[in-house]
Amino acid sequence: MAYLKDQRRETMMVEGSWNIGAYRYKGSTQLQEYVDGLKEKKLIGSLCPGCGKVIVQPRNICGRCHRRMDKRMVVSHKGTITCFVISPPIEKGKYKIIGIDPVEAGIIQEGAILVPVFVRFDGADSNINTILLNSSPEQVHIGMRVKAVFVENPEGKLSDLEGVEPLKE
Amino acid sequence: MQRRVAIVGYAQSEYQFDVPRTREDQVFDVVKAALRHAGILREEVDSVVTASSDFLDGRTISNVFLSMAVGAYQKDESKVEEDGTGALLYGLMRILAGTHDVVTVEAHTLASTINPHQILFYALDPLFDRQVGLLNDIAASAIQARMYMKKYSVPEEAVAMVSVKNLANAALNPLTHRKMPDLTVEEVLNSKIYYEPIRELMIPPITDGVCALILASEEKAREITDRPVWIEGVGTCQDHYLRERNLTQLESLQKAAAQAYEMAGIKDPYREIDVFEVSERFAHEELMISEALGLAREGRGQVLIEKGLTGLDGEIPINPSGGALSADPICATGLTRVIEAAKQIREEAENHQILGVTRALAHGQFGICAQKNTVFILGGDR
Repeated sequence: MAYLKDQRRETMMVEGSWNIGAYRYKGSTQLQEYVDGLKEKKLIGSLCPGCGKVIVQPRNICGRCHRRMDKRMVVSHKGTITCFVISPPIEKGKYKIIGIDPVEAGIIQEGAILVPVFVRFDGADSNINTILLNSSPEQVHIGMRVKAVFVENPEGKLSDLEGVEPLKE
Repeated sequence: MQRRVAIVGYAQSEYQFDVPRTREDQVFDVVKAALRHAGILREEVDSVVTASSDFLDGRTISNVFLSMAVGAYQKDESKVEEDGTGALLYGLMRILAGTHDVVTVEAHTLASTINPHQILFYALDPLFDRQVGLLNDIAASAIQARMYMKKYSVPEEAVAMVSVKNLANAALNPLTHRKMPDLTVEEVLNSKIYYEPIRELMIPPITDGVCALILASEEKAREITDRPVWIEGVGTCQDHYLRERNLTQLESLQKAAAQAYEMAGIKDPYREIDVFEVSERFAHEELMISEALGLAREGRGQVLIEKGLTGLDGEIPINPSGGALSADPICATGLTRVIEAAKQIREEAENHQILGVTRALAHGQFGICAQKNTVFILGGDR
């Protein structure tokens, strides 16, 4: 008996593409304000005049109160891990971040294990998605106290905030 | 209809090219203004229905980041792709089902984020039409215009007169985009040629726009406002794809209108409806739409414009707001027509107000050569 697979006939196909070119998304001021803050090693959030919640990174609209959050707040460098993920060992040629293989580029060592975390900085009511540095998968836990790690010379870019590291209080 | 449903508030953004604000900011302002116009708070809204297109918005599931701006946080929320009249129909059904009483309906397209005509090319059949590569939405409409004009001996001047009328009306509407109060037929016919016989002033400019309205069940509507605008009838119909269709008539619109008329108890739309707001994406379409709506015999839409019957002071004013030719924020265009029709009933249209409007028709369309059509009949308390 022949396999069904052998009897399969290819359907005729035509080449197609979906080239809709570049979008020009309308920008906003929140991103600029946030990175301007990073340049001074400050973590900027937005304050809702309705519920008083502070959202880091800043957002313009509070969905809860349906109000604008025009006020900006600076929150602490210290915070608490609210959740974490432990990555599998990073292998060369397996991952790409914005088109770059981090192992090939020498950013991450082959076989390294990364710990992406959600951190709630003191004074904020929202989580920020970043990475745990100078620690290990064995040490990380929910409720772990951490502090922000900035690059030595911040330039006003998202990458100015490198991640967080354990805080000794 | 078993349950009566009314429009109790609405708002529109100012339609412009390249508004320098985020989608969320623009939507937030308009939804907030619509709630304010109705005099209610977000907390009183049960359900939110939005209309946009993932491709025009440039993101998949384009409503995920919009929910906060549109006031849908922790509420029943849905999105329809395509025209805002589809979202309105959906919102209406939510209330008719008896499960919701107050619904926000929102529609938007910021067309300046990308060339929308580039997107519409991908609406064409990928196996045949796209392979040839010559056809696009404007070329297809040029084919339709030529077929229609040839079959019924419609002169170019009659088509140009639609642009002249609508763009002059637009000059009276502070919100719209292309305003040309002194435009002449000659100027339209001398404007840049796109695809013969379609010229620059016979198609809308590229527009950013957001609009929103608040729907309510009869009971709630009476609590919210003393000037509800009732939805008396609705009809919607989808036609064949381009190649198998009789392009010289909008058959799906005829069917949609017939449904809406029957529901509203309208026998003679010419006499019983006071004003028409229609989505004419091309000037020739307004003539075809007027025929499909039963205002003129087949091929005789030209008579209406030539005799001035569809002008601001005509017997059956069409598009006193300036219509889609003056501003076409694609997914918001149909819902804008509904809002403009509601404004006429509530006598809030200011400079382009038609006197004594008690019943109005609003029309939305989507697809190449107006493939899908939706008609709403609105009425005030009489």
